Amino acid sequence: MSWGYLLRRLAQLVPTSALILLVGFALIHLAPGDPVLALAGEHGDAEYYDFMRAKFGLDQPLHEQLFTFVANMAHGDLGTSYVQGRPASQIILERLPATLLLTATALTIASILGLGFGIFTATRRRAWQDTTATTVLLATYAAPVFLIGQALILLFALGAGWFPVQGMTSAVTPSNSFGHAVDVAHHLVLPALVLAAPEVAVIGRLTRVGLLQELGSDHVRTARAKGSPPSIVVAKHALRGAVMPVVTVIGNRVAHLASGAVVVEVVFGWPGMGRLLVDALRDQDSPIILGIFLLVSLTVMTANLLTDLVYVWLDPRVLFS
Amino acid sequence: MLRRGSALVVSAVLLVSCSTTEGTPQPAADSPVQGGTLVAAISADPGQLNPAITTSGDVHTASELMYNGLVSLTPDREPVGELAESWDVEDNGALYRFHLREGVTWHDGEPFTSADVKFSFEKVLLKYHSRTAASVGQALESISTPDERTVEFRFKEPYAPFPLQLDVTEAPIIPEHIYAGTDPLENPANLEPVGTGPFAFESYKPGAEIRLVRNPDYFIDGQPLLDEVVLRVIPDAESQVIALEAGEVDWLFGVPGADLARLEEDGGFEFLRTNVNPGGSNCIMTVSFNLEKPVFQDVRTRRAVATAINSQQFVDRVLFGQGKVAEAPISSGIDFAHADDLSGMPTYDKQAAEDLLDAAGWIRQGDGTRVAQGVQGIPDGTPLSFGFTLFTSFAAYGDLFKAQLADVGIDVELDPQEPDIFAETVFVDRDFDSNIISYCNGADPEIGVKRMYVSSTIGPVPFSNAAAYSNPMVDSLFDQARTTVDPGERGEVYRQIQEILVEDLPYFWVVETEATRVYSSRCGGFSQAGHFAEAAYCRQ
Repeated sequence: MSWGYLLRRLAQLVPTSALILLVGFALIHLAPGDPVLALAGEHGDAEYYDFMRAKFGLDQPLHEQLFTFVANMAHGDLGTSYVQGRPASQIILERLPATLLLTATALTIASILGLGFGIFTATRRRAWQDTTATTVLLATYAAPVFLIGQALILLFALGAGWFPVQGMTSAVTPSNSFGHAVDVAHHLVLPALVLAAPEVAVIGRLTRVGLLQELGSDHVRTARAKGSPPSIVVAKHALRGAVMPVVTVIGNRVAHLASGAVVVEVVFGWPGMGRLLVDALRDQDSPIILGIFLLVSLTVMTANLLTDLVYVWLDPRVLFS
Repeated sequence: MLRRGSALVVSAVLLVSCSTTEGTPQPAADSPVQGGTLVAAISADPGQLNPAITTSGDVHTASELMYNGLVSLTPDREPVGELAESWDVEDNGALYRFHLREGVTWHDGEPFTSADVKFSFEKVLLKYHSRTAASVGQALESISTPDERTVEFRFKEPYAPFPLQLDVTEAPIIPEHIYAGTDPLENPANLEPVGTGPFAFESYKPGAEIRLVRNPDYFIDGQPLLDEVVLRVIPDAESQVIALEAGEVDWLFGVPGADLARLEEDGGFEFLRTNVNPGGSNCIMTVSFNLEKPVFQDVRTRRAVATAINSQQFVDRVLFGQGKVAEAPISSGIDFAHADDLSGMPTYDKQAAEDLLDAAGWIRQGDGTRVAQGVQGIPDGTPLSFGFTLFTSFAAYGDLFKAQLADVGIDVELDPQEPDIFAETVFVDRDFDSNIISYCNGADPEIGVKRMYVSSTIGPVPFSNAAAYSNPMVDSLFDQARTTVDPGERGEVYRQIQEILVEDLPYFWVVETEATRVYSSRCGGFSQAGHFAEAAYCRQ
């Protein structure tokens, strides 16, 4: 892999993001609905609506609104939220840490559990453990996120009382930072598990298939013939080849996590970016909507780039030019 | 296996560290106690906390405890002094002089004066608060402040509804020393409010919670009782109920009808029925007939539809009892204006509906549907079928409406839409046959009733005159009501208006909706809206 390749890939981010923003802008402004209606609610008179439209520049022709938007974007300015009267970037960044914590935890859980399940089932092929685990994974994958969410809340939060029902912290705040961390971790368990659940299934099943293929391959047979213990055979010889497709999938699942986070954040009252997006869509608050579009698309593109780089590291035969 | 084992250890640790002691259920606390924290659930992140620049229910729910109006409204919707101690009405209702309370301070210690009131109205409320701007703004001539404790509002002509438009929902007063010379939509104080209300701002975590603390200098002696109010953002209604059951929150502003019966059976909770909400009070689910469409030109057809509607079924099946059958165009919550024994008000009578349809020229066919035979403006043989536009969240109303009208041979096509698209379809494009809207009447007919009926509000303004109803008599009666100050005489004018409306039937008023506040039995002393926790208390 050359530095030129990396630079080219990075340079591609710019036109792709610009295109995404342009499509997003068109979708929001050409779709029916009016942010001033969403903002003002009922009871205004014509004068009021005209005043508010002028205030937000929504009385301008669409191409002029687009020009203003592009000019602002060129300075890194996403614009001011109609509802909150603050820079959209500031509002989004406030909510970002909660979503990052949730999705990163979910991705970690999904990767660990997924690989674990994959190895567990591949090494017990056609045994009852394999069948059971595979069926459970399939069900997890098929069930909608909000259903799993509500079920876990009823079982473990309201039923057993092990976890809080919603939120990121308790209403009564712990006095020290360690207590606060434990409090957040306690609130994180259920939403992270729910968000991770379908990913565990995807990663688990893929690992199983990859590993089964590798376990039947020549180099693994050779390793066995040389007398390596089964655990070493799996860990050292088979797993490396088996995780190649898994790495691709983990990278690609970032987009799924981002959309799954929206539902999970609503069900669990998690104060992240996904819920901000839901509110902004309801209010037609386009600076926030476009800002989140941009951030999510940049994240997904970066994840894809990283996936490609990890590929090279795992398998030096893969060459990019 | 090691990982699984350690996960168990972690959950065991969490279990121990976070288990709560469950006390035995206490009987309803009837004697107030000082101190304690109330945790209330709110449905949406407000985004900002200045109630003067918006009518958003989310913002008002989250911020009204920190502010005051010149008056507050009693449960019977009577105005009583809040920031104003008293007021005089002169010039037959064209001049209102308010005498402000002594010794009120803002949460930052600055004194509250008449200049704050003048500033709040002129620079903020009359520009950004859509309801106040559209009503008071049109009628007001000037505001003057003869001294620090006196404010005078002069109107172009007598303006009767004014005292009902001065509570913390319609006209919250904000501090001039913080907002003067700034854009009120972008002032940082919108996120760290400074008010005069019973609770002062403590912190705001966007999307998560708003914390308020007791205002020790509040001008009402002995209030508030609570040390702290925490407003937790829980967007999902089911999750709110579960959080209440799990003891994570003490107060819900509303509860889905289906969960209400379960909470009532479970015990441990108290209930408060109300038709008052910070986003709008005295709401009536109202069917609008688009009078520009040929199918609704004949009042007999409109009366037939209204008579085929069984409103009680809406109360039972859609609202699960949280509401009542509407008896008049004006809500029963506006006592002086509501007419409760209107002879022309349609009530459910299937046979009468069938007869009216026959008389209007809509004749039953063998398969039960009706087709036009001599209906004016409609070719013979056209089936009786029309669209019904509604918010997606009102789907249950649509299903029942369709079923009830099918019973008399009318075919209804449901057209669910998101709220802002609905507003555009109905009020800008006028591309609909009939619809259902939750029209909130507010504390006075001038706020939320007039807009539905006067001919000047036909046009692109959302949630105004959906039917495109125009009757010069009704127009002039509404003008008369606005300038009639005596409540008895004013009520009589509104009765005349309602008598005309139930004959003309540009709309049909189906049900008055109510919300049910639910709270933990260890708490008490709540009021309906606005300052719901001003006098509340919670045993810890």
